[in-house]
Amino acid sequence: MIKELFTNDYGPDGFRTCSVTGMRIDRTAENFVKIFGLTAVVALVMGGISAILVVLTRWEVVGLLPPDAFYNWLSVHAWNLLIFWMVFMEVAILYVGGPMVLGRKLPAPKLAMVGYVLMLVSAIGINWSIMTTSAPDQAPLLTSYAPLPSSEWFYLSAIVFILGTVIAALPFFAAIWQEKIEHPNRSLPLVAFGAFITAIIAVEALLGGLITYIPTYMWRIGLIEHIDAAWYRQMYWIIGHGSQQINLAAMVTVWYFLTHVVGGAEVVSEKVSRSAFILYLFFINMGAAHHLMADPALAASWKVWNTSYAAYGAVLASMIHAFAIPAGLEAGRRKRGAGKSLFGWLWSAPWGNPVFSAVIFSIILFGFMGGITGVLMGQMQLNLAWHNTWATVGHFHATVVLGTTMTFMGLVFFVIQTMFKKELIMAPLARIQPWFYSGFMALATLMMMYLGILYGIPRRHASVMDIPGTDFNFGAAEPLFVIFGIAALLAIVGGILFAGISVGSLLFGKKLEPSSVFRPAASWTGDGSAVHLQSMRGTFTFTLIFLAVFVIAYILNWYLLSRLWEIG
Amino acid sequence: MSSPIHSPQGNWWIAGVSVLEKTWIRISVVWCLILFASMIVWASYGKQNQHGPTYRVSTSEYIQKVQDFKKAGTQTEEGIIPADEHIYVAAARFSFDGFPVVLKAGKQYQVHMSSYDVQHGLSIRPEHALSKQMSLQLLPGYEWVLPMKFDEPGVYHVVCNEFCGVGHSTMHGSFIVQR
Repeated sequence: MIKELFTNDYGPDGFRTCSVTGMRIDRTAENFVKIFGLTAVVALVMGGISAILVVLTRWEVVGLLPPDAFYNWLSVHAWNLLIFWMVFMEVAILYVGGPMVLGRKLPAPKLAMVGYVLMLVSAIGINWSIMTTSAPDQAPLLTSYAPLPSSEWFYLSAIVFILGTVIAALPFFAAIWQEKIEHPNRSLPLVAFGAFITAIIAVEALLGGLITYIPTYMWRIGLIEHIDAAWYRQMYWIIGHGSQQINLAAMVTVWYFLTHVVGGAEVVSEKVSRSAFILYLFFINMGAAHHLMADPALAASWKVWNTSYAAYGAVLASMIHAFAIPAGLEAGRRKRGAGKSLFGWLWSAPWGNPVFSAVIFSIILFGFMGGITGVLMGQMQLNLAWHNTWATVGHFHATVVLGTTMTFMGLVFFVIQTMFKKELIMAPLARIQPWFYSGFMALATLMMMYLGILYGIPRRHASVMDIPGTDFNFGAAEPLFVIFGIAALLAIVGGILFAGISVGSLLFGKKLEPSSVFRPAASWTGDGSAVHLQSMRGTFTFTLIFLAVFVIAYILNWYLLSRLWEIG
Repeated sequence: MSSPIHSPQGNWWIAGVSVLEKTWIRISVVWCLILFASMIVWASYGKQNQHGPTYRVSTSEYIQKVQDFKKAGTQTEEGIIPADEHIYVAAARFSFDGFPVVLKAGKQYQVHMSSYDVQHGLSIRPEHALSKQMSLQLLPGYEWVLPMKFDEPGVYHVVCNEFCGVGHSTMHGSFIVQR
């Protein structure tokens, strides 16, 4: 049965042609995409199990775990979902965006294998070292902030994971290299270009990780006597936030890919979309600086310049994609007569297909909730009210869960149907899964933001309803905790639904001819008119609504800050 | 068809761009400039700016400074009334040192902050309005001095909101602001 998952009808040259995308797919590349993707789903399940324990502890009506177990499981939650689920998926995305889109063989498959084994072993090592944490070591959470010590095996495993990921990315770079040698004057397809930018941002982040974790490991085993907390923070966030920028760039690349193959989107301007990716390349790494806004040891000018991401280059890039991607869908569909009215192109889209709905919800929720809050907390002074509150956790659940995880869930459903060629089981449930999951996750996320900003609920606390030695507690926030708890548990049900449908389809799904579910991309031909001349007034309306929400949230946050006592 | 999975044909750099897309990009550029400018404007005219000098300090030196501060001040039932406008507080696993401090409303103080061991958070809010809260990061080896002026009397509770170990959520301190 396992062997069957890795078979497809390849020709004698080892390639097959995908009936949906029309891509020429190499057997080795496809098998590695499957292996990395499946491993990612295992990490997602592990992270999901820890989510149940974390939610039931923070919702203190239940108050499930004692503090030491809570911090261990919170660390497991962070590493499996923010790192392993994402990074294994991202290597798979690189192999799709490189070799597959370009119709090439996967170069150096042995390197891919070495990378995979190192990543897998170290991911297990990190989970094991977290679960066996004992004094004086503490749970690392995501940040492992020195000089608070964690297990030496944790740091060592983190180094190996980083090295493994760099090695796994090398075949992708080799494919791009070979393509440019063979076709020096041919531009990369946009998806390959986006994957290329993602990979560069990834390598930057990963090198930052080595700069952080190698000295920290040496400190932990006693080779270095002292580790400076401010130095650690500055270095750590190169990978700590940098790894989330990989998620962002990979997600945007997948948005271009899936809106095209599932919804018939086109690229309305290669120049604009590629320029936005270039802006990411130069500016997005400075987004990491927003973690240091409430720090000593850094000058205000350093903070202002870096949080500005050098004049908001990366924010501008995201706002450009926020127009370009829905506009591509609108123009592409209008060109083929799908919907004449303001939003007709959208209502007529394949909403019953979970791949499509997952992607659209992730675009909307990432933008409205994740993007806006990211800018708010990245403003130097506003950060005073956001720093280390639960609202910060709300922000990254909006970006990484509502955005990236939703997108990757859609991608997994797509891969199950097009690469594994399996029908999704429990079709009606599969259809509502993105609605159910994103709806309740959005509500839980909103509650985290409210609880953080309006009640100052701290993040990373096992309990806030009882602080020993004082009458003070956060009991006033209890009603919102109830909404959070219920919404989060229902979101987890949505996650279980995803895992159940995915694994169940692989094991028990009927054999499927993908073009019976997805319209083959080759059939998306229109009236031949230029795409940029199509009306984009629906998208423009959406982006104006987005801007209005952005401005209102911005003004409200400054108003809240202005009511505080004087500082500085 | 301009597909994201095929190489674009011809010179795509000179291909037309939709008027609405250009308009949106212009709006976005202006908005980003406003975002950038507002931090600088607030740094000049706003009253909440986390600016203040940082000094390198060893843990033993800083412990001494907090001890001197407590000795120089007046011990009351409510807390320490500082001798001058300088206040020294510190975080350690799992308690705050230098608290509770009794302050006068409307008077500006120089708050010195540091940690004795690992990274901590200093998260402050008045009891009567939990939404009026702010957080600062405390690092061992660094003494950060920030001027603060509390206009509203009340009890301002301090909790640690940076994970510092299993007992982290039990840390508590307070500023008692009186008329």
